[in-house]
Amino acid sequence: MTGRPRWARLLLAVWLPVVLLAAWWVASATSDSPYFPPLADILDEFVDEWVLGDAKWQLLPSLRNLSVGFVGGSVLGVLGGALLWRIPVLRRATNPIVYFLYVLPAPALLPAMIALFGLGEIRQMALIAFGATWPAMLNTLDGMRGVDEVKFDTARAMGFGSLRTVWQVVLPGASPQIAAGLRASLQVSIILMVVSEMVAAEEGIGYFILEAQTVFAITTMWTGILVLAVVGTALNYAFMGLERRMLAWHHGSRRIGGVPA
Amino acid sequence: MQTVTRYARPALVPGATLLVVLVGWQAVTASGLFRPDQFPTMTDTFSALGAALGTAELWGAVGATLQGWAVGLVVAAVLAIVVGAALGANDLALRSAASVIEIFKAIPAIAILPLVILVLGSTLGMKVFLIAFGAFWPLVVQVIYGVRAMDPTVSDTARALGVRGLRRFVAVTLPSASPYVATGLRIASASALILAVVAELVGGAEGIGRRILFARNAGVSAYPTMYAYILVAGALGILLTGAFFLLERKGMHWHESQRGVGTGGLKAR
Repeated sequence: MTGRPRWARLLLAVWLPVVLLAAWWVASATSDSPYFPPLADILDEFVDEWVLGDAKWQLLPSLRNLSVGFVGGSVLGVLGGALLWRIPVLRRATNPIVYFLYVLPAPALLPAMIALFGLGEIRQMALIAFGATWPAMLNTLDGMRGVDEVKFDTARAMGFGSLRTVWQVVLPGASPQIAAGLRASLQVSIILMVVSEMVAAEEGIGYFILEAQTVFAITTMWTGILVLAVVGTALNYAFMGLERRMLAWHHGSRRIGGVPA
Repeated sequence: MQTVTRYARPALVPGATLLVVLVGWQAVTASGLFRPDQFPTMTDTFSALGAALGTAELWGAVGATLQGWAVGLVVAAVLAIVVGAALGANDLALRSAASVIEIFKAIPAIAILPLVILVLGSTLGMKVFLIAFGAFWPLVVQVIYGVRAMDPTVSDTARALGVRGLRRFVAVTLPSASPYVATGLRIASASALILAVVAELVGGAEGIGRRILFARNAGVSAYPTMYAYILVAGALGILLTGAFFLLERKGMHWHESQRGVGTGGLKAR
């Protein structure tokens, strides 16, 4: 594996995506299926709609709802998880309810959110926040419960107060799992962002795609699908990049400790 | 006496909370803090649930959701095991496919929903395709991890004994990778249920999601029914998550990663 030079590894990584894209281009070039227009047409339409046209502004409400909902839900989840960790009685008491809300498929709540908050963007943000809360909360709780007891003894011996212990011992110790929880929250948030725009909404990327589909503007719909795929992929990669940077010390210390990161 | 309280306690505290939540629900709705067109009362919701439990409509919807979930997961699992085992066995193929898998794994499955609705219509096939597409990519990654984490001793023994081809796949590769597959399935199961509800809500396929939307569109008098169906959706979530948890615990007890003996270092967290 390590014997291969760098250029060969790079070539190995990129040849298949390039071939697949080329295959799509060639296979669709003469396509007369209404569902699968030529890739060249899709790219033309993309330039018209998204570069020259106004479609790009549909991303603003989507990303606004996503960021408010995801950040709000994550903060709520991490704080809630920390609270449940700190107060065992609360944890035992709320366990069945938290678990129920965690496994409840969040899109099922969309019609209820419309009833509660009306059709505006509040219900979209509220739904996203709801979905983002539970994975963040349960992973925070799990991560904090997994912190080594010895570390608490050490902190006590060094005279750390409880706030300082949480900040300097518990939070770093639990951070890999908190990050895993936030990643799950982000994935749910993206789904909820799109779904909430596809039901009774009037703006956003999800609305754009479904609207194009409804009026049978298939090439336009394809541009929306590609944009959503790229945005979703970019968000996932941005999160992973941030995670790697913030947890660099963790992976580093695991390597030193002889545990494969 | 001491013993009784000690045994009763674990169920008592959450039970009491549940009661408080239900009574609180009734209080905020019956007192008018929430109007019936915003949030139905707890008693109305539970009597609607009781009524719905006797209808073929509810069980038909539950069956349809479960069917899409199960078929989608099975299709994804079979494909992921075959493709993952093949890629895991061949370094060159794996390095070539890795970037494609990474890209597709990061694409939110919901992006292709309108296309799938267009091509397949409001059908079970539409739901299955969406679920299988969403579940396949993370699953295939798990299978590859599982195949590559195979104990070298097991692998060498199989080779020395001349176990090859299909027999090696069934008798060596699959059992070794199975805990990874089980974990992957448990995670995929949750997102499959979410995608099933989405396919019903947006795509109009039969199932719980569609029934929830119908109840909402039927007006305020049907809101208790809407919440009854939401409760059923949550119950399904509990059922499916619990089933996979048990599968992992009980079904994998023979595997060395669960026994905590053998090669060491493999013990799954």
